Amino acid sequence: MPSMGDGRIRARGLCRTFGAKVALEPCDLDVEPGRVTGLLGPNGSGKSTLMRMLVGLVRPDAGSATIDGVELSGDGTAVRRRCTYAPGEIGLYGELRGEEHLDWFLRGREREARTRARELATAFELPLRRPVHTYSHGMKRQLMFAAALAPRVAVRILDEPSEGLDPQKRSTMIQLLERDVAQGTTVLLSSHHLGEVDRVCSTFLFLSGGKKISTERADDVARRARRLVRATFGPEVRVDELARGLRTAKGSARGSMLVAELASDDPRPFLAELASLPGIGAPLSLDYGQTSLADLYRGLYGVEEAC
Amino acid sequence: MGRALQSTFWRGVGFLVVLELMLVPAVLYFPEFQKHTSSLKAMAPIPVLRNVIDSLEAGGVFAYVTGQHFFKGCNTLGTAAAVLFACGAVAGEVHRGTFEIFLARPLSRRRILTERWLEGAAAVTLPVFLTTLTIPWLCAQVGHEVGYGPLLLCAVQQCAVLLAVYSVTFFFSTLARAPMGIAFAMLFFTVFQFAVYLVERLTHFSLFRLTDVERFMYIQRELGFELWALAPPLAVAFAGYLASLSTFARRTP
Repeated sequence: MPSMGDGRIRARGLCRTFGAKVALEPCDLDVEPGRVTGLLGPNGSGKSTLMRMLVGLVRPDAGSATIDGVELSGDGTAVRRRCTYAPGEIGLYGELRGEEHLDWFLRGREREARTRARELATAFELPLRRPVHTYSHGMKRQLMFAAALAPRVAVRILDEPSEGLDPQKRSTMIQLLERDVAQGTTVLLSSHHLGEVDRVCSTFLFLSGGKKISTERADDVARRARRLVRATFGPEVRVDELARGLRTAKGSARGSMLVAELASDDPRPFLAELASLPGIGAPLSLDYGQTSLADLYRGLYGVEEAC
Repeated sequence: MGRALQSTFWRGVGFLVVLELMLVPAVLYFPEFQKHTSSLKAMAPIPVLRNVIDSLEAGGVFAYVTGQHFFKGCNTLGTAAAVLFACGAVAGEVHRGTFEIFLARPLSRRRILTERWLEGAAAVTLPVFLTTLTIPWLCAQVGHEVGYGPLLLCAVQQCAVLLAVYSVTFFFSTLARAPMGIAFAMLFFTVFQFAVYLVERLTHFSLFRLTDVERFMYIQRELGFELWALAPPLAVAFAGYLASLSTFARRTP
């Protein structure tokens, strides 16, 4: 990665409306260099609008942004030279062959980027000599990802790059992304797959209805997860009563599931209390320190995304 | 060669071939035309057409070939080509869902649009010039001599009008989403302009007055242009390009 700028993404008060619809309310953003930041939220929450504004495809109504030390101005060409962008919408030129499409994507980039893009596409086993109209949705997505990962830039902005990929290809994509980030690249990633976001992201930004509603560091979420135990019981157990009676944790009932927030990172006092309660059999399942991002997402939006 | 350039190149080649295929038999027919001019004039159903035949008769072979190539060939096929080459320039990208990747590369919008405008403009104008260059040789085949100079000046006048049509269509393409809608609207406009040309009282309001035999005979006579006929289409073409830049700069995916 060439060290031309600071590798940061910074925005202040970026906002945009389309007619009467507020696509994004004034939004501040600080994406740290050399890390992956996840942009999360349901459809229509403003993720794509924010990303498009950052790369100059949509002009903000107000606010400012800098990417890798370059200020967003005009049509954003200077910014796009310092970053790559993989759009969420897939529309490719079906008549072009895969390799021709990579060359087309990479016009304006260094020559070596084309070689790297071919190598990346080969890692995905893409048939580069076939016309793109014969590609499946997932293959087109991989082609765009290869093109976005190939140039030597400090920042990558990827809008749902794994959408439509099978688990194996998604895993390959994440590995390539991790390898790229290990070299110091900054990535802003939007995705509906909480599992992959949880795996690669160090920070999560949550958007809802065009508004940034929360920013969480992965470390903090993991710390909170270590204080969270979920136990599912059979129908004979009155989980709401059980939750109210707990002494070693703050309990709440979610159907047949008991969610216990522990007072410390050590779950043993809670488990001992659970075992000592009369008339409570063994739980059907017990989760500890896991799927914390899914919990966080459910808490913020009331629905669960794909894991 | 880039994707768009390749596509434009083949469209241009297609336009050139059809234009030449229209030109060759028309020029080779000239001796027959000379023989039957009075019959043709008698058959002309409306005064404007009789005037056209009068102009062709008075102007000799030069009037005939410019009438056939520019007034008939380029005004019909050329305007259709100008409309069809321009209508999808931006609206086509939106229509097929490629507009976002079209903009996502590290190239300025001004550059993207200018390249596209120039490619299309070349595909519209170069075939006009190239086919014009074959006219002296074709005329020689039927025993007549026509110089390159006046013909090329006529081609400039013709291309100015075609560029105006092209540029206006291009501007609509930067505004709209449906290329076929633009094409239908502009083709209707050009057909309407032809209809206006054929109405004696209205003919002077037609766009095609700028590229009729009268204009070409003036160019041959004076070896120069009439400012009122050349400047407006060029100004419209340039204004269309500038307006396209302005709207394209604000267009969102």
